[in-house]
Amino acid sequence: MRAPVDKNNDLLLFAEGLPCTQAEQFRSECPPDKKTKAEDLFEFSRGRGDLHISIIVACLALFFFAMFFTQTGWDNRKLPNGFSSYLAHQFGFIDLDGKITRFGRILKQSWVAPMFCLTVLVPTALWNLRASCKEHFWRKRFLLPTKASFEVVKYIEAFEFVIYFIAYTMLVPIFGYLLATVLLGVFLPWRLGYRGRVWLLRSFSCSVAVVIVFRTLLQIKTPVSIWLYDLMPTPLRGFMLTYF
Amino acid sequence: MDAFLLGLESLLQPTVLLAIVIGSVGGVVIGAIPGIGPAIAIAILLPATVFLDDLVSLVLLLGIYGSSMYGGAIPAILINTPGTPVNALTTYDGYAMTRRGAPSRALSLAYSASFFGGCFSIAAALIALFAFGPYLRDLGALFGQRDILMAAILGAVLLIAAHRKTMVIAAMLFGFGFLIAMIGRQTTRKIDRFTFDIEYLYSGFNLIVVIVGIFALSQALNLMVGKDDDPPEARVSGGLFTGFRDLISNKLITVISACYGTVMGIIPGVGEFVAQFFSYSTARAISKDPARFGHGSPEGLLASETSNNAVPAAAMIPLLALGVPGEALTAMMMVVFFDAGIKPGPDIFDTNPDFLFSLFSALFLVNIFVLITLLFSTKFIAKMIYIPNRFLGAMIMILSFIGVYSIRNSFIDCIFAVIFGYIGFILRRLDWPLVPIVLGLVLGSIILERLTAGAGQIKTALDLINRPVSGTLFVVILMVMGFIIWTSIRNRRKHFQ
Repeated sequence: MRAPVDKNNDLLLFAEGLPCTQAEQFRSECPPDKKTKAEDLFEFSRGRGDLHISIIVACLALFFFAMFFTQTGWDNRKLPNGFSSYLAHQFGFIDLDGKITRFGRILKQSWVAPMFCLTVLVPTALWNLRASCKEHFWRKRFLLPTKASFEVVKYIEAFEFVIYFIAYTMLVPIFGYLLATVLLGVFLPWRLGYRGRVWLLRSFSCSVAVVIVFRTLLQIKTPVSIWLYDLMPTPLRGFMLTYF
Repeated sequence: MDAFLLGLESLLQPTVLLAIVIGSVGGVVIGAIPGIGPAIAIAILLPATVFLDDLVSLVLLLGIYGSSMYGGAIPAILINTPGTPVNALTTYDGYAMTRRGAPSRALSLAYSASFFGGCFSIAAALIALFAFGPYLRDLGALFGQRDILMAAILGAVLLIAAHRKTMVIAAMLFGFGFLIAMIGRQTTRKIDRFTFDIEYLYSGFNLIVVIVGIFALSQALNLMVGKDDDPPEARVSGGLFTGFRDLISNKLITVISACYGTVMGIIPGVGEFVAQFFSYSTARAISKDPARFGHGSPEGLLASETSNNAVPAAAMIPLLALGVPGEALTAMMMVVFFDAGIKPGPDIFDTNPDFLFSLFSALFLVNIFVLITLLFSTKFIAKMIYIPNRFLGAMIMILSFIGVYSIRNSFIDCIFAVIFGYIGFILRRLDWPLVPIVLGLVLGSIILERLTAGAGQIKTALDLINRPVSGTLFVVILMVMGFIIWTSIRNRRKHFQ
């Protein structure tokens, strides 16, 4: 039912004839007009936490660069004497006398590919850090949120599921695929809030279906010895090891 | 012709036909569920392909790849949420049509456009195989180690160029992928690269472990940490057969979009997004009613869906012809080739022509099967949209574990998968692209292999580019890099003006 219109409000020009209440005055069914562009597909904006991750990535790139000299066979490099004149000869700028090392012999050495890789990685990581810093200070200047605490909370939340994953990995050699999968397949949705009887049944069915498809039908590899199956009588053990 | 018949014969095996059916239906369902997508499904299935026949594995993965975008259009049109990332543009006009009360017409249009796009690129590939087959056999002689090396480098450069707004991040992540590919013991010289005396790292990272971690596990974590969506109710009523009429009345836009999809699919590293960008922009430019684009234009929907679906068949061409994958999904299929011991490249036209015909014919069957499935079961598939995200995340996590653990029952594999999954999760939250890591990994392996194998023939540095193919590719690389630098400078100037 429509609420009575406040006639004292001098903002209302046509108070008597308004088709809606005061609270509804600014609601519109029309979406804001927007020119749709295909370029929108490539839109990207740096959010919170970008700077911190960019710093970590840049540090990692620099770490690998520092390790390049000890971890790629750089110590055992075989380069011709007078490397600069050799390079000039390679590109046809000067002629050298005598026996000349084949360029392929240099390319074959183990440090060459990492060097090319780091040539891409290190400058781009630093360039990305610079861009991230600029964005961070821009956000700060316009009082936009910059704290990464929200993202950190999400990272910690995700870590809980990582622990479940590792636990699952440890449970399979003990209980076998079937039981371990059913345990995690029911527990995980329960932990996520799907606690009704129907959801538990759905989780259970999905877990069993996964085991039947992958282990029973596709016969994926299973550990040779499973603690629970080893306790079973030999014929049952063989059956469980073959199909579950 | 013999090769074509042989290819058909191997396609008619019951297991292969079953793989087509499972791949098609599975792909549509996976595409229709926002939050999964074909990359995750293929990543999860990769380990299982080890236990299947090569053709069955590839057909299964191709089925998912070729059909997921059909399914992705359903939530994009009905609830304004793209099922797969490449359906983002479909929401612009598809959802607007739904709001106007024409969801069936939008869906029908999307299906018929997708079908036309898919069949167009398959037909183009098959005609090319028939017409140029005898010449393609001689192509093998033109492509040496150095030429493939240059093609891989070109693939990397194009991939980076295609990430228009995140080029620096894409290059950086490609570098990281390449670095991961490099870790391990160099077999010829017994020199360790970045192994830090950790025994596990001597044999390098297993590609499947990294791919499952980066794509599947990361998305599982992302979904579980997030909130369940509350999608609006989607109702499909009316017939779904009207789309073909719209298709015929807009034949120019349809053909142009299919051409864009095919050409962009062939170019490594480019893919669906750029194809859509060009076809949508062109469609708007030649449309009689450009103002309607983004507000429920059938032409816009047609352009985006046709170009999307023309890409998968075309994307197989650089993979099969050069052994260079152009995007993440074909990179994952490369892993199947690695496992099967098949070396895709120019020689494949000579050694396995029937295999090529089988693959493209299978993709054609996938398109037919998907269309029939969708015309009769859209209402049922639309219900998949309502599976809660967090529940899906839990199931993806279980499937990811089974995928990784089944490779060699290794606890350490699982630990590394989870590390890569966690990294992928962080990158997803930052909206950084994940594809460059995987392509860095696969293209990096190709670059390393070809560099070592071709080194014997390189006397001087100029020998790298003095062959007709490698020289041409080198010029193209320089042109692309020049274009990147030019556009960056232009954008910078525009920014300061």
